[in-house]
Formats: sequence, structure tokens, C-alpha cells
Amino acid sequence: MSNVRCAWVLCAAALLVSGAVTACRSSSAKASNSAAGFQPEPDVTFKNLEGADVSLSSLKGKVVLVNFWATWCDPCRSEIPALIGLQDKFESKGFTMLGASMDEDGVKAVDPFIHTTQFNVGGHQRTMDYPIVLGTDAITDKFGGLLGMPTSYLISRDGKIVKKYIGVVDEQQVIKDVESQL
Amino acid sequence: MPQSAASVVKTNVYTSLDPVPRGKEFQVAVVVNIASGYHMNSHKPNDSYLIPTTLTPQLPAGITLVDTIYPAGKNLTFPFSPDKPLNVYTQSVTLRVKLTAGDAAALGDTSIPVTLRYQACNNSACLPPVKVPVNAAIKVAAADAKAKPMHPEIFAASSAK
Repeated sequence: MSNVRCAWVLCAAALLVSGAVTACRSSSAKASNSAAGFQPEPDVTFKNLEGADVSLSSLKGKVVLVNFWATWCDPCRSEIPALIGLQDKFESKGFTMLGASMDEDGVKAVDPFIHTTQFNVGGHQRTMDYPIVLGTDAITDKFGGLLGMPTSYLISRDGKIVKKYIGVVDEQQVIKDVESQL
Repeated sequence: MPQSAASVVKTNVYTSLDPVPRGKEFQVAVVVNIASGYHMNSHKPNDSYLIPTTLTPQLPAGITLVDTIYPAGKNLTFPFSPDKPLNVYTQSVTLRVKLTAGDAAALGDTSIPVTLRYQACNNSACLPPVKVPVNAAIKVAAADAKAKPMHPEIFAASSAK
């Protein structure tokens, strides 16, 4: 190959590479919206407080925030008003909360709690009126293990885990994150 | 990222007498060292829904429980509870059980299993409640045996409180 031709080949290769990099960069913002490359949601089925099955897959088509919490967990309690607010704001747009309680006493602890404990949401006293289910260690293992609570997972409409929150969620950030998926 | 619930705490166990003569009261102390950045609910948390720290001995035959002594917690606020202090243990606390070796207590080496139950959090997240087994080894002797007081730095200090 002549030197000139070699140079053209190298130039073309460089252009191809830079073009590919540019394409990757421009698609990365879309990747987070389309959840491409994110881990698929685990294949788990919860029990609700009536004992009925609630599979995560049955919620496909909705944006879901799975929140692992417990009645004895003060940080968990502190974020509940924000989570009630999320349900209020986005339910009609295809979003749902799924509050998965890790209370050892199960329904016995959770049922009275969700019906009687009041939270201040925008100046109004509200109960936890979003869907509540019971979590188990087997379920949290499928999410990769649960070291602390609260821990929440934002799941896209097509069933990909797009974000994990450990600890109390930042209300403004989680609103932006949910909106980005709707 | 939170540590695992069991790894947040390290325990050391001490007994107050060696040997323990039959008929004599003695103590078992569990010194609980809590990892930096973490706290656990005290034995008397400020809200009834919080899981308290407890110490529960599984008593062998002839050993009876006189009392369980918990230290007072500290009222502290946290980012998730800025307006409502929580009564908690931090750093290092000593929990004690007062026991008596009765006339029927078996002579010789005896093991007293004790269960420490606690629930710990850091500034943003909570670990699940956990039960940690610890073991107090004592030697029971005849009623007229001479008993040596042990670990005065723990038991004398605790008595002074």
C-alpha cells in the first residue's frame, strides 16, 4: 500500500471511530430513558396484605418504584410523605409505588400501621394509601440483597431497573427520575 | 453503604467472680462496641414502635436471674429525625445481668448463653434487627469457696453508677 493510500485509510478509520464515539455519546442520554443496558427487573412475586400474589411482571407498562421499608424504621417513615406525593402526582400517568414491608411480623404489624399512622403530606394528614406488599429475604436476594432500609428501585415501563436509592430518597431527585421514565 | 447488621457491633463478655460459689450473686457484663457512624435503639427508645436493645440469658439449671441492667441511652437527633430525638446507644455501652448460682447449680465449668438483640441505623438507613449469641463461661464452686472479684474496671464502675 502506498503511503498516500495508507494515510487515507488511517484517516477514514479515524473518522469512523470518532463517528462511532459521537454516536455513542448522543445515544447515552437516550439509553437512560429507554433503559437500554440496565438490569432487568427480577422475576419476583410478592404477597399483598390480603394474601394475593402481586408479581412485578404484572406491573409492566407502568413505571414502578419498589420501596423496601419497615414499620420500625425511622428513616423509612421520614420519606413516606414524599412517596405518597409521588403516587398522587404520577399515578394517572402510569406510575405506581410498591411499598414492600420487611417487618418480621408481616400483616400483623403492617396492616394496623398503614391504616392508622398519619403522615403530613402538603399540610394534610394522610395514611399510606399506595399499594403495600410483604417483602421477604428471598425477594430481596433477587434484587441483589438488601443491606439497609429504606432501599428503593425505580423500574421502567419495560421492566428494567434504572436506578437504586439506598437510604432516604431526595424528593426532588426522585420526582425528576420518575418524570424521565414517564 | 451500610454494613451488615451483625458486623456493626462487636461484643466482649466478662463475669464478675471466679469461681462463683453456690448461693452467691454474680454478674455477667456484655460490652457492646458499636461501629462509628452507627447507633442502636436503647433499651427504652422514645417511641413504642422502635425495636429496643435487649439482653436475654438462657439459664442453665440452678442459675437464676436477679435483674438485667441496661445503661441509659442518649437523646440524639438525626437527619431523618431532626425534630424528634431518638434515645440511642453509640460507641460503647455495657449491659449486665445479675444472676445467682443456687444450691442446685452444677459444680464445675458452666456456660451461660446470652442473646443480645439490637436494631442499628446510620444517618440515612437502618439495618434489620439482629440477635447475636454470646457466651459467658463460669465455674460454679461450693458455697464456702473463696471467690475472686474479676474485672473491677467493669463491675466496680458499673456499681458506682
